Amino acid sequence: MPTVTLKSVRKTFGEGELAVNALNNVDLEINAGGFICLSGPSGSGKTTLLNMVGGLDRPSSGEITVIDKRVDLMDKGELAEMRLHSIGFVFQAYNLIPVLTARENVEFVIQLQGMSADMRHRKASDILNEVGLDGLEDRKPAELSGGQQQRVAVARALVSEPALILADEPTANLDSVTAQSLMDLLRHLNDDRGITFLIATHDKLVMSHARRLLQMQDGQIINDIQQR
Amino acid sequence: MGIVFRLAWRNLWRNRRRTWLTAGAIAFSTTLLFAWVPIQFGTYDMMINASLKVFPGHAQIQRPGYLAKPKIQNAITDAELLTKSLRDTNQYAGISARAQSFVLLSSGSRSYGSQVVGVEPEYEGGTSTIPTLVKQGRYLSGIDAQEIVVGSALARNLKITVGDEVTLLGGSKDGSVAAAILPVVGIFKSGSNDLDRFFSEIPLRTFQEIFAMGNTAHSITVTSRNIEQQPQLLAQLARALAKRDDIVVLGWEELIPGMKEAIQVDKTGGFIFLGILIAIVVFSILNTFLVSVLERIREFGLMLALGSRPKQIAGLLMLESGLLTLLGLIIGVVIGSALVYWANAVGLVYPGMEELVEQFGLPGLSRIYPQIKLFNFLLGPVAIFVCTNLAAWIPILRIRKLEPVAAMRTI
Amino acid sequence: MIASSLPLLGTLGWRNLWRHPRRTLIILFAITLGVWFMVISAAMMIGLIEQQLNDTIFNLTGHAQIHHPKFRDDPAIEHSMPLPNKKLLETLDGGEVTQWSVRVRLPAIVMSERESRGVTLVGIDPTREIGLSFIGNPVVEGRSLESIEDNGIVIGQRMAEKLETRVGKRIVIMLQDKTNEVADRGFRIVGLFKAELEATETAYVFTGLSTAQTLVGMANEISEISLVTRSREKLDPLVADLRKAAPQFESLSWQELEPLVVTAMAVYENFIFIWYLIIFVAMAFGLTNTMLMAVFERTREIGLLQALGMRPRSIVGQVMLESLILLFLGVLLGNLIGWLTTDIILRDGVDLSAFARGTEQFKIGSTMYFIWRLEDLLTIDVLVIVLGLLASLYPAVKAARYAPVEAIAGN
Repeated sequence: MPTVTLKSVRKTFGEGELAVNALNNVDLEINAGGFICLSGPSGSGKTTLLNMVGGLDRPSSGEITVIDKRVDLMDKGELAEMRLHSIGFVFQAYNLIPVLTARENVEFVIQLQGMSADMRHRKASDILNEVGLDGLEDRKPAELSGGQQQRVAVARALVSEPALILADEPTANLDSVTAQSLMDLLRHLNDDRGITFLIATHDKLVMSHARRLLQMQDGQIINDIQQR
Repeated sequence: MGIVFRLAWRNLWRNRRRTWLTAGAIAFSTTLLFAWVPIQFGTYDMMINASLKVFPGHAQIQRPGYLAKPKIQNAITDAELLTKSLRDTNQYAGISARAQSFVLLSSGSRSYGSQVVGVEPEYEGGTSTIPTLVKQGRYLSGIDAQEIVVGSALARNLKITVGDEVTLLGGSKDGSVAAAILPVVGIFKSGSNDLDRFFSEIPLRTFQEIFAMGNTAHSITVTSRNIEQQPQLLAQLARALAKRDDIVVLGWEELIPGMKEAIQVDKTGGFIFLGILIAIVVFSILNTFLVSVLERIREFGLMLALGSRPKQIAGLLMLESGLLTLLGLIIGVVIGSALVYWANAVGLVYPGMEELVEQFGLPGLSRIYPQIKLFNFLLGPVAIFVCTNLAAWIPILRIRKLEPVAAMRTI
Repeated sequence: MIASSLPLLGTLGWRNLWRHPRRTLIILFAITLGVWFMVISAAMMIGLIEQQLNDTIFNLTGHAQIHHPKFRDDPAIEHSMPLPNKKLLETLDGGEVTQWSVRVRLPAIVMSERESRGVTLVGIDPTREIGLSFIGNPVVEGRSLESIEDNGIVIGQRMAEKLETRVGKRIVIMLQDKTNEVADRGFRIVGLFKAELEATETAYVFTGLSTAQTLVGMANEISEISLVTRSREKLDPLVADLRKAAPQFESLSWQELEPLVVTAMAVYENFIFIWYLIIFVAMAFGLTNTMLMAVFERTREIGLLQALGMRPRSIVGQVMLESLILLFLGVLLGNLIGWLTTDIILRDGVDLSAFARGTEQFKIGSTMYFIWRLEDLLTIDVLVIVLGLLASLYPAVKAARYAPVEAIAGN
């Protein structure tokens, strides 16, 4: 059973002559446990596709199914619910709530889920430990390096035990060493926990880690390459 | 100038919602002050009028010392002649001579003290509303009629009604006993406790006869068309009586001295209230100005880098805040004018006002009409304009210390 | 979910506020100023009302009075009543009444060598008036009355000036006796009393109860019983008890005796509520604007919260929580400073004696006291917080409406 299915998804920005097709009739199936990279030049529709899957944006037409549920038919509350329990996000930057510490950022999500304080605390510690941030739990985002910030973002995406993590240019602001270690972490999590990853990027390093590489151009998937 | 002005205007509309909210805050306080001050002063006018029109009049001519110690001997000797000569000038809305004394009024079974006033029935209506406030019977018929009208509470206490006789007992001008028996022809109800409980009126000639006053009287009461003309009225009387050093002219400030201080108290309180209200609005607005400057620091850095001088940027910002304030002011003045216009057309009444003012001894109080004077209208808007602009300068002054590179680095 | 997520949301709200300490402090100051001002105005208003009420109660009214049923309408000798019987005494001496006394009130005329005026002659039991009315206080000149047989007379200080007389001099009291004959008798002035209002000083003269009774031949009859109670709240059941104990007489509480004071209180309370609203609107503009700015500059962050799975409703809650913290702090500070001003700084009142005649016009004393009541504080606090949340609803809903993708993508 595929985790994510897109059927003839189209997304148009603007109207009339100025209309731009960000996604043009995209069909796609992603199986559980995949580690998929979306690559392509800026404006090719990577981020739009990612946003559609995450329910941050709605398609102009077509069907999107995420873990058996039609995302395009959900209302705002249902979308929020789905993101809270089934999907984790890692963005390029501004990933963290600036006034909260690393631990609080991680705890925030599970608190929304309604977990008790004890459990929350333990779980956040474990996960921060797992992503290699022990000792830095009580720092605020501004007191962490770019790589550390992204690790917190990954920890936060993990903490709700989602089936799917969506990442948009997670390495864009990182140097190559830090980026490499972040990708190692993501692969490790994919192998260990079976979490599906969908990563939009134009970073070669990221692409090299992908099991399946989707190349996009002008709102369409032009290449679907299985790697290793 | 054109470009700077256009720039300021457009900057204002970059954040519409904020501009409208700020202008709204200014408009709200402007409306309030614009309508408030004239109505406040209108209320004073009404209070003064209400207490003057019943009996004291706008001005009185008396012998010196009579106001403080109203002795029956301290009378104006040629009162009737003087009254007639003033009346003949046709310059006064109302003019009447009065004499008064304290007496004991007795009916068959009761006796009460009363202030009895000798009046000219023909002219009293020009200086007092008591003739129109007779609720039972009628007012006095002629200058030498043998009759009396009494206040409603006094009539009740004496257990008398129209047609009954009362005995009047007092001391006459020459020190002998003054006594008379008079039929009650009318009972008046003014709403003022003092007047209704203690006052009675008889014709002037009858009074002079009973109290051996000859042709003398104690006061000549004068009114002008409205209270705002009182200064002219006093000046006019002073001119007419310049040669007389045996009499004094008294305005309402002297006739009802409590009122002036009462208004003073209320004015002070009112202005403190308004001052604090302005302070709250200014603090509400200060924030907006502050943030709109701070969030544009980067833009100012760019302008500095392009060669603008800090002074010019500060000038632009001042222009912006001036325009914004002006916008709020205009809206406020428009709404405020509508309010004042409406208040002027229908007059204002507070619920419970009548009972209240009766307690303060201000009978027959009617509606409040705003006092239409330029000062009243300008006071509020000018105060707000000055205060909000001063508030705007606080963040603007920071611009002068701005360094272009540092500014452009801030987010 | 809501309960368990409050702590972290609270932390988030609190820290968000202090991201811009200056902005938060300014709006906090505006709220504090507004609340403080509301507290002060309420305390001033209540102070005025309480003072008026106390003056009224101390001005021979008491908390309740018992009369002959016709006495109030026609205060004459024939409407007097006998001394309280056993049954009534039981109620009067019961625990609720702290002090009571009987009085004789007689309308009279007082005459000095130079002047005469209408007054009420009050025959009192001097020892029982202590704590019941102003005449229980020691006189300012001469001596107080000592017993019910005391045949001296105590008059007001300003009355003595009007009559041009002083302690030790004789004055004549003229009144009607029980047989409707006019009786007069000379009294020696033994003391002068002072009251806040001139009207009080000139309205009453006091002598011993028996002396007054003998003067008009009333034997043991009295005009009224006046009393004060432990607490004003329990007055109504007490008055009901009095009615039961003495059904042949009229027992009235101060509310029924002085309906004008009650009206005045109602008018004041309405006015103060309108006043709250005006102040509130003035600060609401600032609050809405500040919250709106706080939301605008955090669009990206709000988008992130939405991406993390926060429901729109919770985002509204988050923004409201921040303004709740602000409002709560402002209210707390406002109350605190309000309490400091009224109970510490202005504990002894504000001296208005410079405007004495004006305050007299408003029937208030020359010292203005500030009294805060818990219920006023609660009204203000609830009003500010509820309306304040309402004012931040717009920014909050605005925040929740952001489409997450725009919020994140926006630079």
